[in-house]
Amino acid sequence: MKWKQFFTPVSNITGEEAKQLVADKGADNVVYLDVRQPKEYENAHLPGSRLIPMGELDRRLDELDPDSHIIVY
Amino acid sequence: MLSGRGFKNIYNMSGGIRDWNKEIAVGPQDLGLHLFSGSESAEETIIIGFGLEEGLREFYLDMAAQVDSPEAKNLFAKLADIEIHHQEHLLKLYRESTGKNVSLEDFRSEKVQPSMEGGLTTQQYLQLYNPDLGSELDILSLALSIEAQALDLYLRAADRDTDQSSRAVLQQIANEERAHMARLAELIDTL
Repeated sequence: MKWKQFFTPVSNITGEEAKQLVADKGADNVVYLDVRQPKEYENAHLPGSRLIPMGELDRRLDELDPDSHIIVY
Repeated sequence: MLSGRGFKNIYNMSGGIRDWNKEIAVGPQDLGLHLFSGSESAEETIIIGFGLEEGLREFYLDMAAQVDSPEAKNLFAKLADIEIHHQEHLLKLYRESTGKNVSLEDFRSEKVQPSMEGGLTTQQYLQLYNPDLGSELDILSLALSIEAQALDLYLRAADRDTDQSSRAVLQQIANEERAHMARLAELIDTL
């Protein structure tokens, strides 16, 4: 079975490019969204990142601003 | 999931937190975590959903063979079995919505497989995503992200479906995918 049809293009950026995006757009306009589990977040996370575990994301989308730049990891 | 709900500026940070300080990205530029968005017909949604369930089943069977933990092995085997029930639901829905009394074999060979041509095999997909197959955390996180895509597909399909019975079936499958995610998340928390 093939998987290609399940994916659409999305911007993949490196950690360096993410930092540049923050510099270009301003920290207030960029959100780091951590979709891992709370325990992983507690172990280590990017400074200022928002935690919404993947399993809760579809029910918590209203906590995010659709106009902001969101970097998911 | 985000890209299908009106969020326009979404970026997937390659390699996640581990590669925060690296300059080289992991994975191809055009491979992301989002499903194609929103313009499929009900028939196309069912066909795509069936293919997704088939892919998920293969993925879980692969993972069951590769993990060491008996608990994870057992979970993956159970998840693989549940995907068969989802395929049965979807075939029933296809028959009802199109009026075509197609067999499982014909549906798979004439409808689903042609729609999957040109894509990646599960193994190729795994190679591109490049999880550490020695790490249960990596494997479970990948499984969680794939389930999220399945959930997203079914929720959006259910939102668009005006037929009450097929909508209920899609919502039921979505809820089962959500339950899968909860199980996977629980298992991640035990690592």
